[in-house]
This record gives sequence, C-alpha cells and structure tokens, in this order.
Amino acid sequence: MTETIVELRNITKRFPGIVANDDVTLDIRKGEIFALLGENGAGKSTLMSILFGMYEPDEGQIFVRGEEVRLTSSKDAAALNIGMVHQHFKLVSNYTITENIVLGDEPLKRLGPLSWVDLKGASKKIRALSLEYGLEVNPDDKIEDLQVSTQQRVEILKMLYRDAEILIFDEPTSVLTPQEIEYLLEIMEELRRGGKTIILITHKLEEIKRVADRCAILLHGKLVGVYDVATTTTQRMANLMVGKELDTTLDKTEHDFGEVVLDVSDLTVYNEQKVKVVDNVSLRVRQGEILAIAGVSGNGQVDIADAIAGLQHISAGSISLKGEEISRLSIKDRIARGISYIPEDRQKDGLVMDLTLRDNLAIKTFDREPFSKKGVLQPEAFEQQATDLIKRYDIRSGQGSQTTTRSMSGGNQQKAIIAREVELDSDLLIFVQPTRGLDVGAIANIHQQILEQRDKGKAILLVSLELDEVLALADTICVAFRGQILKTDSAKNLSKEEVGQYMMGVTQ
Amino acid sequence: MNKFSSRVRSALSGLLVPSISIALTLIVASVIVLLLGKNPIEVFLGFLRGSGLVFKPRYAGGQGILTDFFSYLSILTPMIFASLGVMMGMRAGLFNIGVAGQMLLPGFLASVLIGYSDLPSYLAWPIIIIIGLVAGGAMGALIGFLKHRFNIHEVVTSIMLNYIISYVTAFFINTYYADPVTRNSRPVSEASRLLIPGQAGGARFDLPVGLVVALLVIFVMRFLLDRTTVGFRINAVGLNKDCARYAGINVGNNVVLAMAMSGMLAGLAGVTYYLGFANNMVPKELVSLGYDSIAVAVLGNVAPVGCLFASILVTIFQKGSVYMSSNVGVPKDIASVIIGILLMFSASGLYIEETLQRLRRRSRSKQDAKTDPDKAEEERA
Repeated sequence: MTETIVELRNITKRFPGIVANDDVTLDIRKGEIFALLGENGAGKSTLMSILFGMYEPDEGQIFVRGEEVRLTSSKDAAALNIGMVHQHFKLVSNYTITENIVLGDEPLKRLGPLSWVDLKGASKKIRALSLEYGLEVNPDDKIEDLQVSTQQRVEILKMLYRDAEILIFDEPTSVLTPQEIEYLLEIMEELRRGGKTIILITHKLEEIKRVADRCAILLHGKLVGVYDVATTTTQRMANLMVGKELDTTLDKTEHDFGEVVLDVSDLTVYNEQKVKVVDNVSLRVRQGEILAIAGVSGNGQVDIADAIAGLQHISAGSISLKGEEISRLSIKDRIARGISYIPEDRQKDGLVMDLTLRDNLAIKTFDREPFSKKGVLQPEAFEQQATDLIKRYDIRSGQGSQTTTRSMSGGNQQKAIIAREVELDSDLLIFVQPTRGLDVGAIANIHQQILEQRDKGKAILLVSLELDEVLALADTICVAFRGQILKTDSAKNLSKEEVGQYMMGVTQ
Repeated sequence: MNKFSSRVRSALSGLLVPSISIALTLIVASVIVLLLGKNPIEVFLGFLRGSGLVFKPRYAGGQGILTDFFSYLSILTPMIFASLGVMMGMRAGLFNIGVAGQMLLPGFLASVLIGYSDLPSYLAWPIIIIIGLVAGGAMGALIGFLKHRFNIHEVVTSIMLNYIISYVTAFFINTYYADPVTRNSRPVSEASRLLIPGQAGGARFDLPVGLVVALLVIFVMRFLLDRTTVGFRINAVGLNKDCARYAGINVGNNVVLAMAMSGMLAGLAGVTYYLGFANNMVPKELVSLGYDSIAVAVLGNVAPVGCLFASILVTIFQKGSVYMSSNVGVPKDIASVIIGILLMFSASGLYIEETLQRLRRRSRSKQDAKTDPDKAEEERA
C-alpha cells in the first residue's frame, strides 16, 4: 500500500514573469487518490503537465516506479502508463467513441499485405472496460451527440484503454452538474479499487474530503505541505490553500430597496434552433437589491441575461431600464444606458484572449474620451486605467498591463472582467456564474464586491448554478425551470430545500 | 534610457526569427540548386542582378542597373498593395483569396476608361487611383456584405468573383480591345501609365508613381490599425467575434468595412500593375501576384511594415527569376519553390522561437550548474 509510484523532486518551472512551480517535492503512492489543491494560478496544472510530459521542468527530477525519467512529450508519459483527462476535452466531435479512443493507437487486422483498423474488436474491448468500471457509454455513439459528462467518461476510457495506471484528472468536476459530480467521484473510487493511482487537481474542498486519501496544497507555486485528508478539516485546508485565515462569512446588511431599475415583463425568447428557451418571464430588480435566478443548468437563466444585454433577440415581452424600453436598442446603446454584464463564458465572450490586459480593460470604453479623441486612441489613458485597475482589483499577471490575457489564470481573467464592468458604473449589473471555476479566495473576493455594489445602490441580477452562492447573496430568489420562473420570493422566506425542490420542477 | 534599450532589444528580437527563417530558406534553396548541378551563389546573384540590385556584367544599349532597379520597383508597388489587402482582411479574421480578381476589375476599368483615352497624366493619374479604390472597394464590400448578411464564406464568394471577373473582362477584351497581333488587350497610353520616365548615365528608366502612394498607405494603415478606434474594432472582431459583439461592437459593419478596405488596397494593386507594370491585360488570366500576396502577408506577420519588407524580399525572387534563368540556366520556377520554402519556414516562426528559447534555457542551466557550487558556498558563508 505504501509503495511509491511517482516521485517529483525539487521541480521548478518558470514562465515569463512568473515562477509556476518553485522547488516542489512530492511522492505519490500506488493505489491512492492524491489530491492537488490550490488557488487558481497556484501551479497545480503546470505541475501535472510536467508529469504528463507537456512541459519540461527547468530544474528537478521525476521518478516513476523508482526510476528517473525524462518526459519530453505526452507519448513518453503514455509509455509509462500515465494518462490525463484535461479540463478541455481533446476529442474529435464527428467521430464515434470507439474511433476517438483508438485514435493514434489503432488496432490493426492484417490479411497478407492489407491491413485495416479493427473497430469491432476495439468496440468490444471498450464495452468490456466500461462495464468493469461502471463507465456507461455506447461505443458507437458520436461525440457530438454526447453530454459533457459522457464525453468525460470517454476521456477516462481512453486512458484505461491505453492501460494507464496513473490517472491525472485536471479539475474534472468544473463542467459537471451535482449529480454528475457524485457519479464521477464514484467512478474514481471504483478505479482506486481496481488498483489505479489517481491524481485529482481541484480547488473544491468537498470533493477532496469525499474521495481523496492525501492532499498536497500549493500556494503561489510552492508546496505548503501534504496532508492526510481524514484528519484535516475542510476549514484548515481552505486556510492553508489561501495562505491566510479565511473569513467565509459575508456580512450583509439589511436595507430598503430603491426604485425599480430593471423591469422585465412577459419575456419570451427562442434560441437559434427555434426552441423556446425563455417562456413568459417577468421580474423586477430594484436599487440595492440582489435578485438571483437559481436553477439547474440550461433552464433559460443565461438566455434571460443575454436577452437583457441584447445578445439575444426577444420574440415577445418588454425590457425596461429605469423606465425606458430598451429591448429594441443595440448592445452598444444598452451598455451606454447603464448595463454591465459579467458573462458566463469569460474566455469566449468576456475577453479577447489575444489582446493585452490593457486593451481588454478598455474594450467597452475605447471609443469614449479619454481613451480616444476624434477616433485616435490615447495609449496613455489605456495605461493609466490599467495600472489603476490592476492595483485596485489586485489583478495578477506576468507583465502587468501588457500581459496577453490568454496567459493569465482564470481567476485573474475574471477579476479583470469584473473590474472593467464595475468601473462602467452602470445602474444594473448582471453577473452570470461569476465564480465558476474559481478558488475559495477568489470567490470570497468576488462575493464581497457584489455586496459592495449592492450597498452602493446598484441593481444586481445574479445567475448562478451554485445554490450556496444564491442563498448567500440574494435578497430575492427566482427559480427557473424549463424557461419559466416557477417561484419568486424574498430569500428570507425560502429554505435551501425548498429552492432545491423548485429547481427540480416540484411545486407544492 | 532603459525603456529605449528594451524597445531596441524587442525590435531586434522581432527581427531575429524572420532572419532565421530567411537563412534556412537560403540554405534549403542552395541544396536544391546544388542538386540541379548549379552554383547557388550564381543563382542568388542572378536574382539580385535581375532586380537591379547588383550590376550585371553587361547591359544592352540604353539600359543600366537603374532600368532594372526601377522596373523592380514598379512590380514591387502592386505587391505591396496586394499584400496589404490580404493583411487587412486577415486582421478582421477574413481570408481574402480574391485579390487577383479585385485587381483585374479596377485594372480593366481604368484601362478602358482612362488608358485608351488621351487624357494628360495629371488628370489621368488621380482618376485611375480613384477607379482603383472605388472598383476594388466595391468588390470587397460586396464580399463582406454577402458574408455578413447571408453568411456565405468569403473564400467561396471571392473565388467565384475571380472567375466571373476574369471571363467577363476576357469577353470585352477579345471583342473590343484586343491587339490584332498579340491577342492581348491593346497597351494603355503612355500618359496614363503611373510612371515618370527618366534618364541617367545613358540608361532609360521609369519611376513608379504608385510606390510613393504605397509607402504613404503603409503608414496610414499602420496608424489606422494601431492607433484608431476603427483599427481597434477591426482587431477585436478579427480576434474574437463573440467578445466584440458582447462589448457592443457591430461585427457585421466591421466585416464589411474591413473587406471594403481590403478590396480598395487590391484595387490599388490592380491599377499599379495593369497601368504601371504590365500596361496591358491577357484575356482570362489572373495575375499570380494576387495569390503570391497571401504568402507575402503571412511572411510579413500580418502587419503593414512587415508586408513592406516581405514584398521587397519576395519580389527580388520573382522579378529576378527571368534574368537568372536565362543566365544561370536554372528554370525560373525555382522562384516559386523558394517562395514556398520561405513561407513554410515563416509559418514555423513560433516553433523557431520556442526552439531558441529552449536552447537559451539549456545553455543557461548549464552555466548555472557550473556556478552552482560557488553559489551554494556563498550561501553557506
């Protein structure tokens, strides 16, 4: 049981302006679930990418099964039976599951000089594997028809098919619903029972508590320590992870709400596939009020937000902002009227990843003074704003205002978006999944900022899949189910269980 | 001071990777030439001599190095415009593969309307330039509009338009404007050509007027893309349409605008080519320069000044290939081969950069390893 399978010794990896891993030494035992915990940008993914051969460490040694190895590509890692499920899946969407799994390592059948890929045999083997570990899939389905959780299972099967013994999961639960998370954790336990070693990169403490044996905590690239999960409390892990005593309780003061800022009535939206995604929704948000839309993913919440911001056409209903009908206005005009929007997908919608942080911070205001005068950009104004926001919002990046946002960590990208949107000083702020994929420290920071805006008298529309987040922040809760609002009530009058029931479509 | 030196360093490191690409290209090209049994130095000298950059051993009467050099500049001019056109599209995330067609239509219109008239140069030139801008811009705008309004891919429309333009103009050339001997279109009038004839040291040459415009346009484009709100919008649309839309930028308008500008630049390439270098049109023929400009824009790192340098380089091979092949005996198609290799290496720019970094790191860590014991002792003390 205590046989060491992987040993990392004094690993150091530098990127321009940042030390991603600083002298990290770890040993991982055969047959355990080893968690790697840390804030966004703490160096977890980098460390595992090194073990998977995607980066070479600047310093340090790697031992696998007691022998020193040098990994220059993922092929080397595969040869040592190391597999990895990446945060973003690497699958060919119009191939079947079987084709994806055998890709790059096709089993060949030969007849004299002829050879062809033995898909039938592979399919059989995959079916057997999927039964053995409880990973239900139909090997002949195409990837594009599958749900995210099933795609993830395909990634796991891909590793198992290649006889991986050491399985690295990079934040596997960030894309899953609560039920799917539960199912995945069971699969991990099943894999451990089958003798596999699992390395789980995550920043969700409950998951670690639930399945992991030991847990290494990284902070700013340095190893804080390795802890026995059974004897360490979640609170202690959280504190170690952020490096300071963490106050997770929010202090939310009671106050009266002001005038109605956003008034949506009878809103109906059809998506591009002509499916009705928002069905006759009405809601009002007042000054100083946080109205949260709770709901399971895909029940029309994001479409409501998109419709208000002007990203989606509405087919019926009205949207008024401070008494003015805005549903016919362009996106630009709505921004000018006072809507800030923190979108769900920060990399696709929120940022131009290949532009600098400086440009991204000004992407909504570049054509106003002082950022441009008569159509000519004023770089000094861009720089001044960037320096100011970087400082005030604690946005960390390798090369300051000139950093390409792509190279920043997710948490800092989100900080940049929030800084930009809050600085617009809009009367209405829409937050969609503002803390998705972020660590405890960043979440607390963002929650604090949302409350600050509320206390300043802004109207806030929050869309979140995290029930705890909704309950912690909301003054008023709307529960969305199949495009409708099933229930609207003051947060004080709703318990977690009640909201959960409405989310499942149960109405008393 | 520090800022300045770091700027110089970054400018130099920006030049390092392209220089390596070029050096690798020359090495591979030399190997190919050696395999053909010829002397690579002779070949490269041939290219330079043909472009008027190195003296030829002898010149025909009334000719000299300046004749070749200015002839080189007059084909360089449309190349600069065409590559700027491709670059402009790429900046907005569009692939304008129809530059050749967007050159031919303005070239044809300018030839027919002005080239066959007897307008004096001072009237003809500005009108020709305007025709280039308007006709090219209209074609580009049409492609952009079809993309924006009906979501038809710009590659499809621009290739289709290439065929349409090439056949329609061929019909008119064959029917009305053909030269009875060559079956090409009749040459345009001397006055309408965007050239100023000159003479020095017994050699006649033609100064290309368009080059001045081209150099001006390079700096206008640079300013437009880097320093104006128009450029900011186009860059944002090109890099991430979704985010641009979310930020309130009208994506459709900018697609049309960028394509229109791309077409205008192609139009300028057209008039400077057909009324400044070729001076007539071959029916049904789209000039290869229109396609080569794609490679040039990529080689120039999709930036205005980059396009200038890439055009200078690529045009040497193209312009010099005729002289080189007749004097050294290597087929002139070697020019296309060399440009192809050049493109391949320049497309590998990122790989070269990474390799350089790896080498640097390795040498540094070796040095560190050497000095490490000393350091450790220092720390102990």
